[in-house]
Amino acid sequence: MITVEGLTKKYGSTIAVDSLSFTVKPGRVTGFLGPNGSGKSTTMRCMIGLDRVHSGIALFDGKPYQELKKPLHEVGTLLDAGNAHSGRTARNHLRWLAMSNGVSSKRVDEVLELVGLMDVAKKRVGQFSLGMKQRLGLAAVLLGDPKVVILDEPANGLDPEGIRWIREMLKHLASQGRSVLVSSHLLSEMALMADDLIVIGKGRLITECTVPDFVNQYAKKWVVVKSPQLTSLVSLAQEQGMHVSMGSNLAEFHGAEAAMIGELAAKNNVVLHELSTQTGSLEDAFLEVTADAVQYHGHAETQSKGVAS
Amino acid sequence: MIALIRSEWLKLRTVRSNITMACFAVILPLAITLLTTVFIDVYSVDDATVSVVLLGSGSLSVLLFGIIGALAITQEYSQGTIRLTLAANPHRIRAYVAKGIVLAILSGGLAAFIILVGNTAGVAILDSRGAVGKLSNGDMGQAYLALIAIGILVSLLGMAIGTLTRNPPSAVTVLVLWPLLFEALIGGLLSVAFSESIFKWLPFQTGLNALRLEDYELDFGRWGSVGYFGLWILTVSMFALVRFKRRDA
Ligand SMILES: Nc1ncnc2c1ncn2[C@@H]1O[C@H](COP(=O)(O)OP(=O)(O)OP(=O)(O)O)[C@@H](O)[C@H]1O
Ligand SMILES: [Mg+2]
Repeated sequence: MITVEGLTKKYGSTIAVDSLSFTVKPGRVTGFLGPNGSGKSTTMRCMIGLDRVHSGIALFDGKPYQELKKPLHEVGTLLDAGNAHSGRTARNHLRWLAMSNGVSSKRVDEVLELVGLMDVAKKRVGQFSLGMKQRLGLAAVLLGDPKVVILDEPANGLDPEGIRWIREMLKHLASQGRSVLVSSHLLSEMALMADDLIVIGKGRLITECTVPDFVNQYAKKWVVVKSPQLTSLVSLAQEQGMHVSMGSNLAEFHGAEAAMIGELAAKNNVVLHELSTQTGSLEDAFLEVTADAVQYHGHAETQSKGVAS
Repeated sequence: MIALIRSEWLKLRTVRSNITMACFAVILPLAITLLTTVFIDVYSVDDATVSVVLLGSGSLSVLLFGIIGALAITQEYSQGTIRLTLAANPHRIRAYVAKGIVLAILSGGLAAFIILVGNTAGVAILDSRGAVGKLSNGDMGQAYLALIAIGILVSLLGMAIGTLTRNPPSAVTVLVLWPLLFEALIGGLLSVAFSESIFKWLPFQTGLNALRLEDYELDFGRWGSVGYFGLWILTVSMFALVRFKRRDA
């Protein structure tokens, strides 16, 4: 269980995290979402005392990180692709870490095996790909068999197999009763693995809820209809002020309930071949919620440059 | 604490540049001592020959210990491992002290090794070349001990400077320029304004003076000089420790 209360972190005049409070429950994977620069990484660094906070506190089963005797047994953290020295071998990297918290070197080999790096255990980390470094970082997380796991974009750089592996791993860890906090920009992944969500923007909490609630509340919903009398149904709906978009053999009714369309059809003797409610994805919901909090926008290149003859 | 010290020791010895530097720090004074004793005119040899060469070349090793100390901490920042170090042990003072102890043991041990091997070999070579008279003298032991002490202190100074700059090149630059440039420059300027006596307050000069074979003319004596240098390093280390505790990792 992680409890964060009123966490505030400033860098000069920038407020990176602004009185942020949330909880991460045991037995669940909690997704940590927010646009670039919204303060996810900063929050994680503050939680484990790497960055000094201006106010607020993060508690792990009621204790601040600084009070944990052998923290690797309580909290496993992955930030910035593992933070390993490029000149050290993978095994030595894990060995010094293990030694500092009284973890055996047998466990070092176990976790190397677990993340699939046994064959390269004696290679220098400098020769590793980004994905291999992430795996090494994960090995470090698992070293102390911690009750709490905090991961900052762990899927970054992993191949599809690795992404699936990490998803299964995190779900497995949560199923054993651990608290898992994971940030990611891969929202389709998040939809597959997260139970709860914490969404922040500009350092502030936007919402904290379960994934289904989040999608229900924020994603757009519409009704899809297939019918041989589609045009007459559409004009009936438009008379009632509904917004409809027509496809070749189906129509999408926005801002309407399936029941309303069904009744409208029945009343006017319109035959329906399909009537279904569609919900937007987690991505849709996320973009909707954070639209105001996005600080760094990309722009489509609308005008072609340099085409002068 | 033992676990932390062992962990820091593993960290130090698993980076190749540290090993290279340590080897260099050992080989350099030994090579100079051996070459000197092999080629020196045997009739000009006296009871101070071996120790003067060894102490002189040993002060180069001392600077290398300082560089090892500076790199031990700055590399943690440049490679990002400091975050893991502090995640594994959030008690920052303990983390600092553990690293300091490992550096002290390493540089003290290497200095002792240099002295032992260098002195034994140097004397043996001169002996075999038929040098007459004594090859050791009464001040030697104290001067050798001072070399060990200064070696430890400079490695801790390197670590303190590294903690403050967090950047390998600038930490090494500050460490090397302090004795070679800053003190000479500042001492030169101040001695014009005040008097020659200003030199005795310059920490590195005084610290390295403790390595002289004879300490009769030293202002603070041998161990006073070591102590004065030590006070400077304690001050810089305290400053570094306060910054280390407060700053974001
Ligand atoms: N060391 C630092 N010094 C100054 N400002 C910083 C520092 N670290 C982060 N910031 C600022 O704090 C804010 C939050 O950054 P942070 O890296 O926590 O965002 P994030 O949510 O992790 O973003 P991303 O999704 O891109 O990883 C940004 O405005 C950033 O510029
Ligand atoms: Mg980030």
